[in-house]
Amino acid sequence: MDQNSLHRVGNKALRIVHGIGLFLAMLVICLPGIWIVLSSLRPTVEIMAKPPVWIPQQLSLDAYIAMFSGVGQGGIPVLDYFRNSLIISVTSTVIAIVIGMAGGYAFARYRFRAKSTMFLGLMLTRTVPGIALSLPLFFVFARLGIIDTHFGLILVYVALNVPFTVWLIDGFFRQVPKDLAEAAQIDGCTRWQAFWQVEYPLAGPGIASAGIFAFLTSWNEFALASQLTRSINSKTLPVGLLDYTAEFTIDWRGMCALAVVMIIPALTLTFIVQKHLVGGLTSGAVKG
Amino acid sequence: MKGWRPSPPLLLLLPAVIVLAAVVVVPLLLSLYSSFTPFRLTKPETFWVFIGARNYVAILTSRAFWVAFARTVVLLTVALNLEMLIGLGLALLVEKASRGQRVLRTIMMFPMMFSPILVGFQFKFMFNDNIGLVNNALQGLGLTDRAIPWLIDGNLAFIAILIAEIWSSTSVFAILILAGLLAMPREPVEAARVDGCTPWQTFRYVTWPFIMPFAFIAMTIRSLDVARAYDIVKIMTDGGPAGRTELVWTLVARTAYSDARMGMANAMAYFSILLSILFTVYFYRKLAAARTQIAAEW
Repeated sequence: MDQNSLHRVGNKALRIVHGIGLFLAMLVICLPGIWIVLSSLRPTVEIMAKPPVWIPQQLSLDAYIAMFSGVGQGGIPVLDYFRNSLIISVTSTVIAIVIGMAGGYAFARYRFRAKSTMFLGLMLTRTVPGIALSLPLFFVFARLGIIDTHFGLILVYVALNVPFTVWLIDGFFRQVPKDLAEAAQIDGCTRWQAFWQVEYPLAGPGIASAGIFAFLTSWNEFALASQLTRSINSKTLPVGLLDYTAEFTIDWRGMCALAVVMIIPALTLTFIVQKHLVGGLTSGAVKG
Repeated sequence: MKGWRPSPPLLLLLPAVIVLAAVVVVPLLLSLYSSFTPFRLTKPETFWVFIGARNYVAILTSRAFWVAFARTVVLLTVALNLEMLIGLGLALLVEKASRGQRVLRTIMMFPMMFSPILVGFQFKFMFNDNIGLVNNALQGLGLTDRAIPWLIDGNLAFIAILIAEIWSSTSVFAILILAGLLAMPREPVEAARVDGCTPWQTFRYVTWPFIMPFAFIAMTIRSLDVARAYDIVKIMTDGGPAGRTELVWTLVARTAYSDARMGMANAMAYFSILLSILFTVYFYRKLAAARTQIAAEW
């Protein structure tokens, strides 16, 4: 075998190894999700079977029907949780985006004293672990009587989302050349008009993805919600999921179904914005 | 009379500052104060008793706390390093792929969408000793004939939590590092190859310095949210068995809400806050350094 074909064989082997590696990696990433979806569609008998049943014999939507037909399996009012989650996440996202746009614009367009210290300070408020923050908030909210209300949780999630929203939106405004807004101002726009007519539309997709990121954070948050909510008045889905484990027998199928309900909105939204999200996070990396 | 006019950036930042002050800073000051009292939720009057640093002394001499603290640091260090390495490997694998890169990138984002509580639940399900996928697979393949008590044995539970943690966060690294790889100019790599660098040298001295800031962005984002491991542990083992997987955060929650010892819990919480801030500042400074270095070189 001459050197040329030896090289070719080597290359081919390398490609196959690469392919296998890639396949295995993707399998590990996808398997837990697939397993949850599959389990939510199988009868409980099959989940509990020993020896295990690998190929599902029958698939049904029973778990979902039980869950959504009022107080279903295990007495979990999923519909209420779903509504709470939706109200709280959407409201807090909208407010966080408005505040984040103002802040992000300030960081991207103005020079002011202690700018980087201020930025780091904003970020540091985000690092406070949810559970550590929940202690004083629990106390204060109990005093103010806003424990177990939508308002309380919305307030907390706005604060939780603002730092990261500022960071992302700052990055998106930086990508919009300063000259454009200046040109608009020379043409007679006020700064306010220049912002809404030129800079905002250009940064729009980025801002949308920052919003979706904020939505996901609120949608997924657990540590704070678990302490600041008490009943179906304000309990969100992640807290509701824990309802299942508190019992002695775990309804695995019901939990899997609830997990799928939680993941579907998150999944859809992330697919929509993935491109912008990565761009926003890395925009500062090379330009500084 | 014309009054004092605040500068525009100040005005724009004001709402953010107000919200954060109201929801984060002021409550934290309150909790700082209450960490110097024997405050119990069941006895409100204890809020006004000042006992100095006695809570802190009690914590610093408590073995359980130090064990939990050390376990948290170990978990974070091991998890962050492994996530970085695996993320780098994953990014390189995907970058090399000639077809379907978009699809691969989308799949890679998959774990990011799972809330930590869901990650905890799905791994609790998979690592269940009786009906879990992992044991079923191991038994099916004939690798073991008994049920491995993944979440019941202390060390195994720690490993299971580590795996869940890594599964959920590696994609942040992979995606950002991949973005770095894709943004990288081709010429320096080709120049290095022409000059006779081995693939390893090319990676080490050309590729790696360029993607480093991206890796640090990922690290910074990750370190902002290290405490979300709480959600995972809470649902997987809740610090059990017998405190073998207790982390600082689960200990804080237990002290505050199960034992109702708020003052003590607040003192503990300050250690966990300090830990998070330390991680974040460390990576933020690395990020800043890497950025200036890149700016100087390119």
